Amino acid sequence: MTPPKPCTAKLADKFIFNDKFIKLDFEFTQPGEVPIQAGQYVSIQVSERGDRRPYSICSSPAITHGFELLIDVTPQGLGSTFLQNLALGEEIKLLAPLGVFTVPQNSEEEALVMIATGSGITPFRSMVLDQLQQKSDQREITLYWGLREERQLFWQDEFSELADEFPNFHFHPVISQPLPEWPLCKGRVTNCLSVHDLPTNAGYYLCGNAAMLEDVVSFLAERGVLKNQVHHEKFY
Amino acid sequence: MIDTQSKQIGRYKVVVIREKCISAASCVAIAPGVFDLDEENIARVISQDGEEDDIKLLAAQSCPTAAIIVTDTESGKQVWPPIL
Repeated sequence: MTPPKPCTAKLADKFIFNDKFIKLDFEFTQPGEVPIQAGQYVSIQVSERGDRRPYSICSSPAITHGFELLIDVTPQGLGSTFLQNLALGEEIKLLAPLGVFTVPQNSEEEALVMIATGSGITPFRSMVLDQLQQKSDQREITLYWGLREERQLFWQDEFSELADEFPNFHFHPVISQPLPEWPLCKGRVTNCLSVHDLPTNAGYYLCGNAAMLEDVVSFLAERGVLKNQVHHEKFY
Repeated sequence: MIDTQSKQIGRYKVVVIREKCISAASCVAIAPGVFDLDEENIARVISQDGEEDDIKLLAAQSCPTAAIIVTDTESGKQVWPPIL
Protein backbone atom coordinates (compact mmCIF):
# COMPACT_ATOMS: atom_id res chain seq x y z
CA MET A 1 0.00 0.00 0.00
CA THR A 2 1.44 3.38 -1.03
CA PRO A 3 1.85 5.62 2.04
CA PRO A 4 -0.18 8.85 1.89
CA LYS A 5 1.68 11.94 0.71
CA PRO A 6 0.85 15.65 0.84
CA CYS A 7 -0.50 16.75 -2.56
CA THR A 8 -2.23 19.68 -4.15
CA ALA A 9 -4.99 19.52 -6.73
CA LYS A 10 -7.21 22.01 -8.49
CA LEU A 11 -10.92 21.80 -9.19
CA ALA A 12 -11.32 21.01 -12.88
CA ASP A 13 -15.05 20.38 -13.18
CA LYS A 14 -18.22 20.36 -11.14
CA PHE A 15 -21.45 18.41 -11.80
CA ILE A 16 -24.67 19.06 -9.90
CA PHE A 17 -26.69 15.83 -9.97
CA ASN A 18 -29.56 17.06 -7.82
CA ASP A 19 -30.15 19.06 -4.63
CA LYS A 20 -28.30 16.41 -2.58
CA PHE A 21 -25.33 15.21 -4.61
CA ILE A 22 -22.58 16.91 -6.58
CA LYS A 23 -19.47 15.46 -8.22
CA LEU A 24 -16.19 17.33 -8.21
CA ASP A 25 -13.36 16.48 -10.59
CA PHE A 26 -9.84 17.41 -9.50
CA GLU A 27 -6.52 17.42 -11.35
CA PHE A 28 -3.35 16.85 -9.35
CA THR A 29 -0.98 19.80 -9.51
CA GLN A 30 1.75 18.52 -7.19
CA PRO A 31 2.76 15.80 -7.87
CA GLY A 32 1.25 15.45 -11.32
CA GLU A 33 0.20 11.85 -10.83
CA VAL A 34 -0.75 9.75 -7.80
CA PRO A 35 -1.48 6.00 -8.05
CA ILE A 36 -4.73 5.20 -6.27
CA GLN A 37 -6.50 1.90 -5.65
CA ALA A 38 -10.23 1.59 -6.12
CA GLY A 39 -11.94 2.15 -2.77
CA GLN A 40 -9.35 4.50 -1.33
CA TYR A 41 -9.95 8.02 -0.11
CA VAL A 42 -8.25 11.38 0.28
CA SER A 43 -7.96 13.62 3.33
CA ILE A 44 -8.67 17.23 2.33
CA GLN A 45 -7.76 20.33 4.29
CA VAL A 46 -11.08 22.15 4.61
CA SER A 47 -10.17 25.16 6.78
CA GLU A 48 -7.39 27.68 7.15
CA ARG A 49 -6.60 26.39 10.63
CA GLY A 50 -5.98 22.89 9.28
CA ASP A 51 -9.14 20.79 9.77
CA ARG A 52 -9.25 17.83 7.41
CA ARG A 53 -12.07 15.61 6.20
CA PRO A 54 -11.94 12.25 4.41
CA TYR A 55 -13.62 11.78 1.01
CA SER A 56 -13.78 8.53 -0.93
CA ILE A 57 -12.81 8.60 -4.57
CA CYS A 58 -15.46 7.63 -7.12
CA SER A 59 -13.33 7.63 -10.26
CA SER A 60 -11.55 4.71 -11.86
CA PRO A 61 -7.96 4.20 -10.69
CA ALA A 62 -7.06 4.15 -14.38
CA ILE A 63 -7.07 7.94 -13.93
CA THR A 64 -3.80 8.79 -12.18
CA HIS A 65 -3.60 12.51 -13.00
CA GLY A 66 -6.67 13.35 -10.94
CA PHE A 67 -9.66 12.02 -9.04
CA GLU A 68 -13.40 12.51 -8.71
CA LEU A 69 -15.37 12.95 -5.49
CA LEU A 70 -19.06 12.54 -4.84
CA ILE A 71 -20.27 14.98 -2.20
CA ASP A 72 -23.52 14.90 -0.26
CA VAL A 73 -24.08 18.60 0.28
CA THR A 74 -27.06 18.30 2.61
CA PRO A 75 -25.13 18.08 5.90
CA GLN A 76 -23.75 21.61 5.27
CA GLY A 77 -20.86 20.77 7.54
CA LEU A 78 -17.32 22.11 7.45
CA GLY A 79 -16.19 19.79 4.66
CA SER A 80 -19.20 19.80 2.37
CA THR A 81 -19.55 23.59 2.63
CA PHE A 82 -15.87 24.09 1.78
CA LEU A 83 -16.04 21.81 -1.25
CA GLN A 84 -19.39 23.12 -2.46
CA ASN A 85 -18.01 26.67 -2.47
CA LEU A 86 -14.80 25.84 -4.37
CA ALA A 87 -14.41 27.74 -7.64
CA LEU A 88 -13.15 26.11 -10.80
CA GLY A 89 -9.36 26.25 -10.83
CA GLU A 90 -9.12 26.72 -7.07
CA GLU A 91 -6.43 24.61 -5.41
CA ILE A 92 -6.83 22.32 -2.42
CA LYS A 93 -4.35 20.60 -0.12
CA LEU A 94 -4.79 16.92 0.56
CA LEU A 95 -3.19 13.69 1.64
CA ALA A 96 -3.49 10.80 -0.81
CA PRO A 97 -4.06 7.95 -1.09
CA LEU A 98 -5.56 6.56 2.13
CA GLY A 99 -7.59 3.53 3.11
CA VAL A 100 -7.67 -0.24 2.89
CA PHE A 101 -11.29 -0.71 1.77
CA THR A 102 -10.25 -2.33 -1.49
CA VAL A 103 -11.02 -5.52 -3.38
CA PRO A 104 -8.11 -7.84 -2.61
CA GLN A 105 -6.18 -9.34 -5.46
CA ASN A 106 -5.86 -13.14 -5.57
CA SER A 107 -8.83 -13.44 -3.25
CA GLU A 108 -10.75 -16.71 -2.93
CA GLU A 109 -14.04 -14.81 -3.08
CA GLU A 110 -16.05 -16.33 -5.93
CA ALA A 111 -18.36 -13.34 -6.34
CA LEU A 112 -18.57 -9.75 -5.15
CA VAL A 113 -21.66 -8.23 -3.56
CA MET A 114 -21.50 -4.47 -3.01
CA ILE A 115 -24.11 -2.83 -0.79
CA ALA A 116 -24.34 0.96 -0.41
CA THR A 117 -26.70 3.61 0.82
CA GLY A 118 -26.54 7.29 -0.14
CA SER A 119 -23.07 8.60 -0.84
CA GLY A 120 -21.75 5.18 0.22
CA ILE A 121 -21.92 4.41 -3.50
CA THR A 122 -18.71 6.40 -3.94
CA PRO A 123 -16.03 3.70 -3.48
CA PHE A 124 -18.16 1.14 -5.32
CA ARG A 125 -18.30 3.16 -8.54
CA SER A 126 -14.51 3.15 -8.49
CA MET A 127 -14.39 -0.57 -7.70
CA VAL A 128 -16.97 -1.53 -10.34
CA LEU A 129 -15.19 0.44 -13.06
CA ASP A 130 -11.87 -1.06 -12.00
CA GLN A 131 -13.00 -4.68 -11.71
CA LEU A 132 -14.93 -4.65 -15.00
CA GLN A 133 -12.94 -2.35 -17.26
CA GLN A 134 -9.38 -2.65 -15.99
CA LYS A 135 -9.17 -6.07 -14.36
CA SER A 136 -11.65 -7.87 -16.64
CA ASP A 137 -13.06 -9.59 -13.56
CA GLN A 138 -15.30 -12.46 -14.71
CA ARG A 139 -16.88 -13.07 -11.29
CA GLU A 140 -20.49 -12.16 -10.66
CA ILE A 141 -20.54 -8.60 -9.31
CA THR A 142 -23.79 -7.32 -7.84
CA LEU A 143 -24.33 -3.75 -6.69
CA TYR A 144 -27.20 -2.74 -4.38
CA TRP A 145 -27.69 0.99 -3.87
CA GLY A 146 -30.24 2.37 -1.44
CA LEU A 147 -31.58 5.92 -1.64
CA ARG A 148 -34.55 7.60 -0.05
CA GLU A 149 -36.24 8.97 -3.18
CA GLU A 150 -36.11 8.17 -6.87
CA ARG A 151 -35.22 11.78 -7.71
CA GLN A 152 -31.97 11.36 -5.77
CA LEU A 153 -30.80 8.69 -8.21
CA PHE A 154 -28.00 9.35 -10.66
CA TRP A 155 -25.47 7.09 -12.38
CA GLN A 156 -28.35 4.64 -13.00
CA ASP A 157 -27.78 4.98 -16.76
CA GLU A 158 -24.05 4.37 -16.32
CA PHE A 159 -24.55 1.31 -14.14
CA SER A 160 -27.29 -0.02 -16.45
CA GLU A 161 -25.01 0.39 -19.46
CA LEU A 162 -22.25 -1.45 -17.61
CA ALA A 163 -24.73 -4.24 -16.85
CA ASP A 164 -25.56 -4.43 -20.57
CA GLU A 165 -21.89 -4.50 -21.55
CA PHE A 166 -20.73 -6.89 -18.83
CA PRO A 167 -23.21 -9.77 -18.27
CA ASN A 168 -21.56 -10.62 -14.94
CA PHE A 169 -22.50 -7.20 -13.49
CA HIS A 170 -25.91 -6.63 -11.90
CA PHE A 171 -27.31 -3.37 -10.54
CA HIS A 172 -30.21 -3.02 -8.10
CA PRO A 173 -31.26 0.49 -7.06
CA VAL A 174 -33.44 0.41 -3.91
CA ILE A 175 -35.75 3.30 -3.02
CA SER A 176 -37.06 3.56 0.54
CA GLN A 177 -39.78 6.17 -0.16
CA PRO A 178 -40.71 5.49 -3.78
CA LEU A 179 -43.47 6.89 -5.93
CA PRO A 180 -46.23 4.30 -6.56
CA GLU A 181 -44.95 3.61 -10.07
CA TRP A 182 -41.38 2.75 -9.00
CA PRO A 183 -40.96 -0.72 -10.50
CA LEU A 184 -37.84 -1.98 -8.74
CA CYS A 185 -36.76 -2.77 -5.17
CA LYS A 186 -38.52 -0.79 -2.44
CA GLY A 187 -37.70 -0.32 1.22
CA ARG A 188 -34.32 -0.86 2.80
CA VAL A 189 -31.43 -2.55 1.01
CA THR A 190 -32.01 -5.56 3.25
CA ASN A 191 -35.55 -5.84 1.80
CA CYS A 192 -34.01 -6.13 -1.64
CA LEU A 193 -31.31 -8.54 -0.48
CA SER A 194 -33.96 -10.74 1.12
CA VAL A 195 -35.65 -11.45 -2.23
CA HIS A 196 -32.41 -12.44 -3.95
CA ASP A 197 -30.28 -15.53 -3.61
CA LEU A 198 -27.03 -14.57 -1.95
CA PRO A 199 -23.91 -16.29 -3.24
CA THR A 200 -22.28 -18.36 -0.50
CA ASN A 201 -18.59 -17.92 -1.27
CA ALA A 202 -18.78 -14.21 -2.03
CA GLY A 203 -17.11 -11.18 -0.56
CA TYR A 204 -19.66 -8.72 0.80
CA TYR A 205 -18.61 -5.06 0.65
CA LEU A 206 -20.68 -2.56 2.63
CA CYS A 207 -20.55 1.23 2.68
CA GLY A 208 -22.99 3.47 4.49
CA ASN A 209 -23.74 4.99 7.85
CA ALA A 210 -23.36 3.11 11.12
CA ALA A 211 -27.05 2.13 11.36
CA MET A 212 -27.07 0.72 7.83
CA LEU A 213 -23.89 -1.25 8.47
CA GLU A 214 -25.36 -2.71 11.64
CA ASP A 215 -28.57 -3.72 9.82
CA VAL A 216 -26.82 -5.32 6.88
CA VAL A 217 -24.18 -7.10 8.97
CA SER A 218 -26.96 -8.63 11.11
CA PHE A 219 -28.96 -9.59 8.03
CA LEU A 220 -25.97 -11.25 6.38
CA ALA A 221 -25.13 -13.13 9.57
CA GLU A 222 -28.72 -14.46 9.70
CA ARG A 223 -28.30 -15.61 6.11
CA GLY A 224 -25.15 -17.54 7.02
CA VAL A 225 -22.55 -15.16 5.65
CA LEU A 226 -19.37 -15.49 7.69
CA LYS A 227 -17.83 -12.48 9.40
CA ASN A 228 -14.60 -12.78 7.41
CA GLN A 229 -16.58 -12.46 4.17
CA VAL A 230 -17.83 -8.99 5.13
CA HIS A 231 -15.79 -5.85 4.49
CA HIS A 232 -17.10 -2.43 5.34
CA GLU A 233 -16.39 1.28 5.30
CA LYS A 234 -18.31 3.57 7.59
CA PHE A 235 -19.51 6.94 6.27
CA TYR A 236 -20.57 9.56 8.74
CA MET B 1 -11.70 8.13 30.28
CA ILE B 2 -8.66 9.47 28.47
CA ASP B 3 -6.12 7.17 26.87
CA THR B 4 -2.58 8.39 27.50
CA GLN B 5 0.86 6.98 26.86
CA SER B 6 3.86 8.33 28.69
CA LYS B 7 6.61 7.30 26.25
CA GLN B 8 7.58 10.18 24.00
CA ILE B 9 10.54 11.44 21.97
CA GLY B 10 9.18 14.28 19.74
CA ARG B 11 7.85 17.56 21.09
CA TYR B 12 4.23 16.70 20.40
CA LYS B 13 2.27 14.48 22.72
CA VAL B 14 -1.01 13.04 21.46
CA VAL B 15 -3.98 11.92 23.51
CA VAL B 16 -7.14 10.18 22.24
CA ILE B 17 -10.45 11.07 23.86
CA ARG B 18 -12.22 7.72 23.64
CA GLU B 19 -15.72 9.12 23.98
CA LYS B 20 -15.29 11.28 20.88
CA CYS B 21 -13.80 8.58 18.64
CA ILE B 22 -16.17 7.28 15.93
CA SER B 23 -13.73 4.69 14.51
CA ALA B 24 -13.11 6.62 11.29
CA ALA B 25 -9.49 5.43 11.58
CA SER B 26 -8.07 8.39 9.66
CA CYS B 27 -5.40 8.70 12.35
CA VAL B 28 -4.37 5.08 11.87
CA ALA B 29 -4.12 5.56 8.10
CA ILE B 30 -1.95 8.66 8.42
CA ALA B 31 0.16 7.77 11.47
CA PRO B 32 0.13 3.97 11.85
CA GLY B 33 3.22 4.13 14.03
CA VAL B 34 1.37 6.18 16.63
CA PHE B 35 -2.27 5.02 16.49
CA ASP B 36 -4.17 1.81 16.09
CA LEU B 37 -7.70 0.64 16.90
CA ASP B 38 -8.42 -1.38 20.01
CA GLU B 39 -10.77 -4.37 20.24
CA GLU B 40 -13.74 -1.97 20.32
CA ASN B 41 -12.47 -0.20 17.18
CA ILE B 42 -11.62 2.89 19.18
CA ALA B 43 -8.38 4.71 18.39
CA ARG B 44 -5.56 4.43 20.89
CA VAL B 45 -1.99 5.62 21.11
CA ILE B 46 0.53 2.82 20.71
CA SER B 47 3.64 4.99 20.66
CA GLN B 48 4.40 8.68 21.02
CA ASP B 49 7.54 8.35 18.91
CA GLY B 50 6.20 6.27 16.03
CA GLU B 51 6.02 9.21 13.60
CA GLU B 52 7.43 12.72 13.18
CA ASP B 53 5.56 15.54 14.92
CA ASP B 54 4.13 16.93 11.65
CA ILE B 55 2.58 13.54 10.83
CA LYS B 56 1.11 13.29 14.32
CA LEU B 57 -0.44 16.73 13.82
CA LEU B 58 -1.85 15.74 10.39
CA ALA B 59 -3.38 12.64 11.94
CA ALA B 60 -5.05 14.74 14.64
CA GLN B 61 -6.30 17.29 12.09
CA SER B 62 -7.78 14.43 10.05
CA CYS B 63 -10.00 13.26 12.87
CA PRO B 64 -13.55 14.36 11.98
CA THR B 65 -14.58 14.66 15.62
CA ALA B 66 -11.39 16.30 16.94
CA ALA B 67 -10.91 13.34 19.26
CA ILE B 68 -7.12 13.72 19.28
CA ILE B 69 -5.46 16.41 21.35
CA VAL B 70 -1.92 17.47 20.48
CA THR B 71 0.17 19.24 23.09
CA ASP B 72 3.60 20.81 22.63
CA THR B 73 5.49 19.44 25.62
CA GLU B 74 8.14 22.18 25.47
CA SER B 75 5.74 25.09 25.64
CA GLY B 76 2.93 23.22 27.37
CA LYS B 77 0.46 24.65 24.86
CA GLN B 78 -2.29 22.72 23.14
CA VAL B 79 -1.51 22.67 19.42
CA TRP B 80 -4.66 20.88 18.21
CA PRO B 81 -7.52 21.58 18.31
CA PRO B 82 -6.52 25.23 18.62
CA ILE B 83 -7.91 26.94 21.69
CA LEU B 84 -9.77 30.03 20.51
